[in-house]
Amino acid sequence: MTEMTYDTASVAAGAAASPRRSRVIQIAHRLLTWLPGIALLLFWQWSAGRLIKEIYVSKPTAIAERLFELFTSGEIYPHLWTTGQELVFGYLIGVSGGVIGGYALGRSPRLARIFEPYVMAFYGIPKIALAPLFIIWFGIGMWSKVALAAIMVFFLVFYNVFAGVRSVDRELVNLTRVMGANQRQLTFHVFLPAAAPYVMLGMRMAIPYSVIGVIVGEFTSSTQGLGLFIHEASATYDPAGVFAGIVILLAFVMIAGALAGRLEKRLLRWRSPAGSGPTDI
Amino acid sequence: MSDPILAFDGIGQDFPAPGQRAPIRVLDGISFDIERGKFVAVIGPSGCGKSTLLQMAAGLLAPTRGGVRHHGRSVSSVNTEVGFVPQQAQLFPWKTLSQNVELPLLLRGVAAAERRERVANALASVGLSGFEDYFPSQLSGGMQKRGSIARTLVYRPDVILMDEPFGALDAQTRMVMQNDLQALSLEAGATIIFVTHDITEAVLLADHVVVLSQRPSRLLAKIAIDLPRPRNVFEPFRNEGYEAAYDAVWTEFRSQIDIGRIH
Repeated sequence: MTEMTYDTASVAAGAAASPRRSRVIQIAHRLLTWLPGIALLLFWQWSAGRLIKEIYVSKPTAIAERLFELFTSGEIYPHLWTTGQELVFGYLIGVSGGVIGGYALGRSPRLARIFEPYVMAFYGIPKIALAPLFIIWFGIGMWSKVALAAIMVFFLVFYNVFAGVRSVDRELVNLTRVMGANQRQLTFHVFLPAAAPYVMLGMRMAIPYSVIGVIVGEFTSSTQGLGLFIHEASATYDPAGVFAGIVILLAFVMIAGALAGRLEKRLLRWRSPAGSGPTDI
Repeated sequence: MSDPILAFDGIGQDFPAPGQRAPIRVLDGISFDIERGKFVAVIGPSGCGKSTLLQMAAGLLAPTRGGVRHHGRSVSSVNTEVGFVPQQAQLFPWKTLSQNVELPLLLRGVAAAERRERVANALASVGLSGFEDYFPSQLSGGMQKRGSIARTLVYRPDVILMDEPFGALDAQTRMVMQNDLQALSLEAGATIIFVTHDITEAVLLADHVVVLSQRPSRLLAKIAIDLPRPRNVFEPFRNEGYEAAYDAVWTEFRSQIDIGRIH
């Protein structure tokens, strides 16, 4: 990341001295990132059937084939749809709850004193252990998974926002009050922007957790979903199916991560503004 | 003598001491007045509660004893008629320079067209025209400090409270800033309370220097500095009467500095 910005900055400073060379460097950088992944895939492909039995680990080409089948036959779509909905709802509910709760407790030391120990205690519970209970409460359908994902996301976002709001510089807050800010103005001009990096961090960290919540829920008991699909594949000794399911989840997480990254870049533009400023007084 | 714009009236302040039942007495019966348009420097040894006085004038801290009166009214809540320039520039990192300077006007409900004009004027007066769209992280320490001063000047506060504003700057930047502050305050006729621990700075900038003692701090003297303006801040010794003025402050201050004691 640092190197990338350094590159673009020096390119700008060099006034397009050699745009072609920098482009080559950029591509080389990208290739370097891909290299270990490609090496791993090649090794996997080669070793399956030679070092390890294929029935244990399948192999990349078989997984790609299975993925193609799943999508062309349409077999995977109902699972995708169900899991996708569970993820989106679980994530959104968890994030909103976390932001609201974290903000309220962060702003009010009194509320924080009362509720923080409880939140802390619940935070310590392994949420996965709640999966069977949630199935009983919310049924075998979608909402038990939504609840599980939401509660995992909630705590992560909650703690980040709580910490973010509490870390706001008191002097800056006081300064803004002297400038004439009321509570609402303080919220919008100081607390929310100051907490934004923490909110974004929580939101990014929460993405894989929402997936864990949903998949564990589906593993426990469900009628449809990628978790169920993976569970069935593994129960029928079908490693290609298991990996195909995992690849789809991986794609989910990466796409969501990229979207969150873009949102972060937009909201937190001030953190890494392009170009270095003047240095005189 | 005109009516004081701000009056400190028998200010006493205790702070709870960690691990002790008896609180630490920081300020002990401090009284002085500030007249309109005057530049008052407050100096004292570190830890004597100079900054605490500013907090009280801004209504951010209630004194244990005594009170601050602003225009004769007792300051009991946040005082939005004053401006505060802290030690660090404390610009909002998520706002551009012009958004930073605009904020006080926005908070006070000033109309958009007037906001634009006043922000442009304030930035021009501190020599920052052309940097409107820069984020604070893109500006040097001195420029951030100028931005912080512009953000205070823009809403024309009654009294400007400055808490060691140039303490964190390098020596050259500091002299330039002192020079600019002198020009700005003369031009605006602003009333300024300027906390510092630098005697030279106090003598060069102020109309009156208030000298505080070590904890528990009392008022040692309020010394008038009658050097003609504008004063040469780059070569202090070239100002006629500078040595005598420095001596007057130093005579009061020297008793408060004993080498070897940790504050």
